[in-house]
Amino acid sequence: MAVITLPYKYLERLTRTDRKTILDKVALIGSDVERIEEDHADVEFFPDRPDLFSPEGVARAMRGYLGIETGLPSYPVKPSGISFTVDPKLADIRPVLGAAVIRGVEFDDESIQSIMSLQESLHWAVGRGRSKVAIGIHDLDTVKPPFHYVASPRSRKFVPLDYAKEMTMDEILEKHPKGRDYAKIVKDFPLFPLIVDDDDHVLSFPPIINGERTRVTIDTENILLDTTGTDRRAVGVAVNIICTAMAEAGAKIESVEIDGMQTPTLAPVERTVSVAECSRLLGVELTASSMASLLQKMRFGAEPVGADTVKVQVPCYRADIMHDWDLFEDVAIAYGYDRIQDLPPETFTVGKPHPVQVYAALAREAFCGLGYLEVMPFTLTNEDVLYRKMQRPEHPGVLRVMHPISIENTVVRTDLLPLLLEFLTLNRHRELPQRLFTVGDVVDSCLTYQQAAGVSIHRDADFSEAYASADAVLHELSIDYSVKESADQAFIEGRRADIIVAGKKAGVFGEIHPAVLNAFDLEHSVAAFEIDLRSVWGSAGTQDSS
Amino acid sequence: MAELTQNEKRLLADLEKEKTADATHLADLLEATPEAVVQWAHLAQDRGLVTVERIVAKEFVYTDEGKVYLQKGLPETQLLQDILPGTTLVDLQNHEAFRIGFGQLRKKGLVKVEGTSILKATGASTEAYELALKNPSATDTATTEIVKRGLLQETETVRYIISITTEGLAYAQAGLDLRGETGTLTHEQILTGEWKNLHLRRYDVTKLPKKAYPGKVHPYQRIIAEMREILLEMGFEELYGGIVQQSFWNFDALFQPQDHPAREMQDTFYLRENLPLPEGYEKVKAMHESGGETSSTGWGGVWKEEKAEQCVLRTHTTSVSIQHLAKNPTPPVKAFCVGRVYRRETIDPTHLAEFEQLEGIVMDEGVTFGNLLGILREFYHRMGFLSVRFKPSYYPYTEPSLDAEVYVEGLGWIEMGGAGVFREEVTAPLGINYPVLAWGLGVSRIAMLRLGLKDLRYLHQSDIAFLRETPVLRHTKGGV
Repeated sequence: MAVITLPYKYLERLTRTDRKTILDKVALIGSDVERIEEDHADVEFFPDRPDLFSPEGVARAMRGYLGIETGLPSYPVKPSGISFTVDPKLADIRPVLGAAVIRGVEFDDESIQSIMSLQESLHWAVGRGRSKVAIGIHDLDTVKPPFHYVASPRSRKFVPLDYAKEMTMDEILEKHPKGRDYAKIVKDFPLFPLIVDDDDHVLSFPPIINGERTRVTIDTENILLDTTGTDRRAVGVAVNIICTAMAEAGAKIESVEIDGMQTPTLAPVERTVSVAECSRLLGVELTASSMASLLQKMRFGAEPVGADTVKVQVPCYRADIMHDWDLFEDVAIAYGYDRIQDLPPETFTVGKPHPVQVYAALAREAFCGLGYLEVMPFTLTNEDVLYRKMQRPEHPGVLRVMHPISIENTVVRTDLLPLLLEFLTLNRHRELPQRLFTVGDVVDSCLTYQQAAGVSIHRDADFSEAYASADAVLHELSIDYSVKESADQAFIEGRRADIIVAGKKAGVFGEIHPAVLNAFDLEHSVAAFEIDLRSVWGSAGTQDSS
Repeated sequence: MAELTQNEKRLLADLEKEKTADATHLADLLEATPEAVVQWAHLAQDRGLVTVERIVAKEFVYTDEGKVYLQKGLPETQLLQDILPGTTLVDLQNHEAFRIGFGQLRKKGLVKVEGTSILKATGASTEAYELALKNPSATDTATTEIVKRGLLQETETVRYIISITTEGLAYAQAGLDLRGETGTLTHEQILTGEWKNLHLRRYDVTKLPKKAYPGKVHPYQRIIAEMREILLEMGFEELYGGIVQQSFWNFDALFQPQDHPAREMQDTFYLRENLPLPEGYEKVKAMHESGGETSSTGWGGVWKEEKAEQCVLRTHTTSVSIQHLAKNPTPPVKAFCVGRVYRRETIDPTHLAEFEQLEGIVMDEGVTFGNLLGILREFYHRMGFLSVRFKPSYYPYTEPSLDAEVYVEGLGWIEMGGAGVFREEVTAPLGINYPVLAWGLGVSRIAMLRLGLKDLRYLHQSDIAFLRETPVLRHTKGGV
């Protein structure tokens, strides 16, 4: 999520209304107001609307929403006469270049800060951490066009931003803080992307760092924007969002020539949408003209064409409009979610619980009848709890998460009993007897199913209690079972048994082995049992992931 | 006045005759220990029927050394008798009482040493100490010193004098039922009719015995059950699905671009397992790359099969609902799913790496975004939240999207969950031709509010005292 700082004075000037009017309504276009401060507000916008990641963009949207200025904003672009060449060797490295000239910039500390943070937000939301798009902003008057986007030897030297002396590009990746942060994007290429001017002065080593030479200061009047990346559409969006934000701030945008093409055009994209389809989706009665004016409020160009059609011009900065329904959402926002009639659908259906949950609920009932208290342990645990402390071999279907958060959470549980014993450890100081149970998901490789387990700790807990309790739960669930001696090392030999259903092992019960009690720091004997609920007839308890 | 215990009655019966007696004496009469008698007397005293007087007496007992001096005199007395004019230190040194006696005489200032001669002080006498040894008294300073010297031992004896009060006497004279009491009724007593002759012991009905703890369903499970019930009443079918899901169903089928930040290793638990892609996956691929046959542009770029095959711990139950829709594309479908979902978050009081999500979907001809708002309002109303509002939001697979907020007294508007209409990019490749309304909410958010928890971990690593004490019926007001 992007949190954007909106300085009131600047925002009020751009929006042409007072801060209260803006802050009261800004959530209604899709945002969360995080903090209201003396001189600014911090507002969080959604990642699909990078055009709102600047005060200029927010002001543009709010002018429309508040009816101060509606319809398509116009951004005239004239050619700058400046051109770029692109080195064909970049095709497999970082092929896409976008650029623009922005003239007549009047920077102060606030607006420099605003453009820098827009750049950072775009790096995150559109650029995927600079890998897809990286943006450089330069003082145009420090360099000489035409410019050249080249694949450079890694030994090339220049002075990177915030440094006083020359470094090779390899050294930058190793020593410069930005170099270290983003090295992974380029380090495997034999040649590195580089932008130089006609005198071979370095502007930028995208996506890592600019050169110190073109640093933008409060005195900068004309800007050269470079945007490089791997995805043409994303690069275009970034250029359009920055250019239109700067234009909102009063600058003039000029295009540059790249490979014989003038870019950017900042021209809208046209879409023709159906009024009936929109009305059907939203459940709101609309006419072509009402829909058009709602779209204009959201800063689209919109014109009714006949009774069911609206021709829409989508501004170049609206990267999120991929589908007609994206426009319909804007219609809903402009109409107001609070004004939409909210009636449940008339669709008639009959409620039906899932058998797995039905049987789980019945198992709970049986446990409660035996005086067992339900607990709901985590499903992520570790091998130490599941196997080592239990003296059990590792389950062949254990799933390890590839990047665990901690050594406590490395695998998904394959059994429930170890987690119940852990619970007893946690509650050692509480009054005995303690009888706990849990019913829940376990996995066997990609398969998820439910088991139920119970433990009873007190001075006299023994095999007989475990057997009697397991039998009671099995009986209540109408599970037809037999019993045979078990080899489960978690229990005492001669005091352990496997539950057999339809010839297959479906659980175990017995008296927990003293070595296991020691491993869990437990001081009294524990009667325990665990049942595979797939053995309930018709449980349909297994769910494959595919 | 609550009924007297049998023992109090017996005590009163004896005191009626004795009027006043020592607890030891009464203990003999009642065939009990004096301690027990005192305890009964205290109970009766609380009722105003007797008084209990505690008398502490000090006594002195001679130590072995003290016994010797009692016969022979204190060492200083013995020595003093032998000091005559002209007696020297050397003369005395052989005296058996010298070591202790001389020290005492010096200390008390009864003799002084001049050169080698020992002189008695004028009127030197040890009589006071001799007297204290013979007749010790607790108030005498000489006795205190004798005790300090270890010649006497001081002991305290406590006696209890129990006397009947006027009220007690009246109560006793009114007649006492002294029949024996029965605690537990036996099988035989019940069968033989002997119970008719028994005097059953009365209990103090105000006194709670050792607590009993019933077996109970977890309060969190109870909230989940309540939500399930509401949805079943609203005609929804329940779904159950695996916690391990292929990226294809968790992300790709939901039109989440393959480079979406939520798909990165730092946000999602990936597993080493891969599963083959389902039949017809190419339509999803085409949708991502170019928008397929819809008005969508798609995400562009190249959609990679191997990224979709990777398994993850499901990040939402939408992976279950979308598969249900793909298998059941004929309307109407109204379904819901409650289950554990996983996010790779650092665990702290308000964030867990696993939590319960509830999700509902409605697919039918002609259902609208307005209907979705209606379902949500109805659901939250049934949960007790009477004020519900909606605001625009963003989810990659829904359009339009919204967040629902409910008003909670004292806390204000609280975000409860997200919702939206599945994008056509989601439904079209799976052959779903009608709008799908979808909504989800974090169950633990409501549990935290309802149970007043400050730490979400408490739901899963509970102190069982909390579970024992949380009643099955919790009255809620305004949803919490």
